[in-house]
Amino acid sequence: MNLFSLARRNIRLNGKKYSMYLFSMGFSVFTVYTFLALMRNEIVKTAFRYDVRYQSLLSSFAVIILVFVLFFLISSNNSFIRARKKELSTYALFGMPNRRIGGLLFLETALVGLGMLVTGIGLGIFFSKLMAMILLEMTLVNFAGKINFSIDPAAVYQTAALFGGIFCIMGLSGWRVVSRFELVDLFKADKVSEKKSKGSTAVLILSILLMGAGYFIAVNKDPYVVVVGSIPILILVILGTYLFFWGGLPKVLGMVKRKKELYYKGANLISVSAVSHRMRSVASVMATIAVLSAVAVTAVATGFTLYANAERNTYSNVGFDLTFKSGDETVQANVSEVLRKNGVKVLVDEELPLYETDTPTTSIEMDGMPLLTPGNPVRVYSESDFSKLVSLSKTEMETASVAPGEALFLFPYSPDRIEQAMLGQKLDMSGFVAQIADVGRSNISGFGMLNTLVLNDGDFAKLLTEGKLSPSFVDGEAIHAAVYNYEGALKNRQLNEELKAVLEGRGVKYSTAYGLYNESMETFGLICFIGFFMSGVFILMTASLLYFKQIMAAEEERHQYRTLRRIGLDGRTERQVVRRRLLPVFFIPLAMGILHSVFAMKTADTVVFSHMIPATNSYLYVLGFSAIMYGVYGLVYAIFYWITKSQYSRIVRS
Amino acid sequence: MQIIKVENISKVYGSKKNSNHYTALKNISFEVNQGDFIGVMGSSGSGKTTLLNILGSLDKPTGGRFLMNGSEVGALNRNQLAKHRMENIGFIFQDYNLLETMTLKENIILPLALRGKDIAAIEAKVSSLAENLGISHVIEKYPYEVSGGEQQRAAACRALVNDPKVILADEPTGNLDSKSGKDLLKLLTQINTEFGATILMVTHDVFAASYCRKILFIRDGEIYNELYGGSDRKQFFDSIINVMSMLGGGEG
Ligand SMILES: Nc1ncnc2c1ncn2[C@@H]1O[C@H](COP(=O)(O)OP(=O)(O)OP(=O)(O)O)[C@@H](O)[C@H]1O
Ligand SMILES: [Mg+2]
Repeated sequence: MNLFSLARRNIRLNGKKYSMYLFSMGFSVFTVYTFLALMRNEIVKTAFRYDVRYQSLLSSFAVIILVFVLFFLISSNNSFIRARKKELSTYALFGMPNRRIGGLLFLETALVGLGMLVTGIGLGIFFSKLMAMILLEMTLVNFAGKINFSIDPAAVYQTAALFGGIFCIMGLSGWRVVSRFELVDLFKADKVSEKKSKGSTAVLILSILLMGAGYFIAVNKDPYVVVVGSIPILILVILGTYLFFWGGLPKVLGMVKRKKELYYKGANLISVSAVSHRMRSVASVMATIAVLSAVAVTAVATGFTLYANAERNTYSNVGFDLTFKSGDETVQANVSEVLRKNGVKVLVDEELPLYETDTPTTSIEMDGMPLLTPGNPVRVYSESDFSKLVSLSKTEMETASVAPGEALFLFPYSPDRIEQAMLGQKLDMSGFVAQIADVGRSNISGFGMLNTLVLNDGDFAKLLTEGKLSPSFVDGEAIHAAVYNYEGALKNRQLNEELKAVLEGRGVKYSTAYGLYNESMETFGLICFIGFFMSGVFILMTASLLYFKQIMAAEEERHQYRTLRRIGLDGRTERQVVRRRLLPVFFIPLAMGILHSVFAMKTADTVVFSHMIPATNSYLYVLGFSAIMYGVYGLVYAIFYWITKSQYSRIVRS
Repeated sequence: MQIIKVENISKVYGSKKNSNHYTALKNISFEVNQGDFIGVMGSSGSGKTTLLNILGSLDKPTGGRFLMNGSEVGALNRNQLAKHRMENIGFIFQDYNLLETMTLKENIILPLALRGKDIAAIEAKVSSLAENLGISHVIEKYPYEVSGGEQQRAAACRALVNDPKVILADEPTGNLDSKSGKDLLKLLTQINTEFGATILMVTHDVFAASYCRKILFIRDGEIYNELYGGSDRKQFFDSIINVMSMLGGGEG
């Protein structure tokens, strides 16, 4: 038998057992090809042309995937070789030199690699149209172009070259593992018991403290603290996670063992002792999975929440489909004309007078930053004008009622800390003193100014007649705010272009929901798309690594189950044992990943979502969206658990 | 009272059509009464372990039938067999079969834990057995940390911990020095006389065999001879040696 046919035979014999490994290898090729092809796709390029951020986001993602793929493939290749120790040692026993065994492995890797390369690229080409379509559909609101099925030769070469290199590294590292084998070790492999890790209480406590500290920073209400603390948070939590799996979890198992009422219960005794026996060899994988799950789940949850809330976000920022300030009546006439010509149904077409005061003589600071300085103009509304504006708008803001002598102060950012600084402050407007009774958030009322004050109708009228409020002027003309809502505003590109032309032609400052919405969809859609892909890759590879370890363990544990059956383990209890043996290995990292993510989402909420989502408790709302993604992730994981369980049971039962 | 009845049992390894099939047992018949202490002797490869495996329902005979407590064991399904093994049979394996993920103590507890016994009863039972067999000092260790003899005694503890009605022991003293071998044999005798447990013990050791009250000699898968012990162990010992020398095969 020559080396080639031996290699082919080995692949055939091992192929079924390691199909999961092959699958994830193929998937990595597929992912890399898809990304390379997408980055080179003409339509995608044009679609993202005006913003290089997207190109760089895509390519940095491709780099992350590559590094990860490299790590995954080499480590699983090495454990694959270790799992085959017995078989390889038989060759050695028959006098095959290590060099030749290494060559055999290299050849096997090359053959399998070639097969998976062809499969992966083939699938990539097959799904190229679909992938481009999903990307563009997700990111471009009104994508109408036609994508053709395409083969990108350059992407094929690049992928092939990359993976050719990776497979060579894999083959070489396999060679290295084999050349280090000693014949005696090879035969001992099964019998030598793994070193047990007893764990330690100190490490357990330390790991919990580290993670707790990370969480503590993460839940800080101040966006500034959270942003600055993001690297420490990552270090604390990741370190804590690894320590937990290395030293903490074994300790927890030890504690379970000491609880005899629990431990000495049939299936528990068997599965807990088996898990703690394996702990040392899977601890790192479990920790890595916890961390990667956290990253993946957070990425998807963030992307999805952003994506799903793009419309709300848009309106909470601009309020109306179209707003502009103008003192010239003809501009409105022109706009109405465009809307009419395009045949869209106009829902709101109003104008509101704009007033300001530049005389609150009080100066208010927070942490040395001025919130209000005398001389800076502030937009002022009467409560009924303000309520009219809010009720016409598409925001979820609430109308206001203000008592005489009081004022509602509105700021465009999250009001939490500003509220404390502003509440109860007295604003002196040329002799009229209003006390700030309430502080809120508004992006839609400023019309060019940062801060908004809402006064009691009576007070407002009085100030106006006393001349303490002035209309806003531009180029010597008193201006008002024009606000429009009309149907199909977010999707109608043609209309948007025409409106833009008219308004820009008249030199008017305006903002449309269309622009903001489409930009957010592009960004969020891309984040979401990448998040999905990344989670897909992470979940596939980590789960298959876990699967791999369990299958290897199953081979070694087979004789134990035989013994157990001999002393009378019945089928039902055996299934129970298998379940409890595997469930912790899958469930604990997943649960920890999700827990990390729950805190990561809190951070994301502090930094991003609380500005974006007007709900009073935006975090709960964000968690709701994340829960959907956690559910999906958990489901995929459950499928892997189930596959592993059935394969494991099949092995130990044979 | 008859507890085991074996009728014309035979065992062929490998398929009959296959050229390399091997007949390990040929039409064996015998009966075992409750409270018997039977030794099974014969040269290596004569079929002793095969017989014990069949009696312990770990393996199925290819011909004949065998009854335990009057019911046919061959008719039971997998789960019933498991239950039957758990409740009625204590097996001391030739190669111990301890689980290496567990300490000796946990190994011994296993059958009790699987039957859902309560903690206090488990602890008491295990410590008295371990005391009897002199392994109390290593009981918290893992199998790979203790000697072969200690493993063997732990395996014996595991078989006995459940108070089985039938004890099947495959060379239980094979790895023991004479002192601990004697302790185990005394314990088996005690269980046999005090609790009326039925014991079948495979052994190559004539001294161990002399503890039995009856010996079955097996040669080439057939019962070659049966020997009954009287009250005098010395005399029994001599007659066993006699049969052994007639058997010829290099043992003894
Ligand atoms: N699973 C098997 N497949 C094929 N042949 C087997 C199998 N198990 C045992 N045999 C054969 O059956 C015969 C009887 O084996 P058995 O294990 O019963 O012998 P034994 O009397 O217990 O020997 P020892 O005293 O050495 O333990 C042997 O020749 C053995 O080679
Ligand atoms: Mg034997």
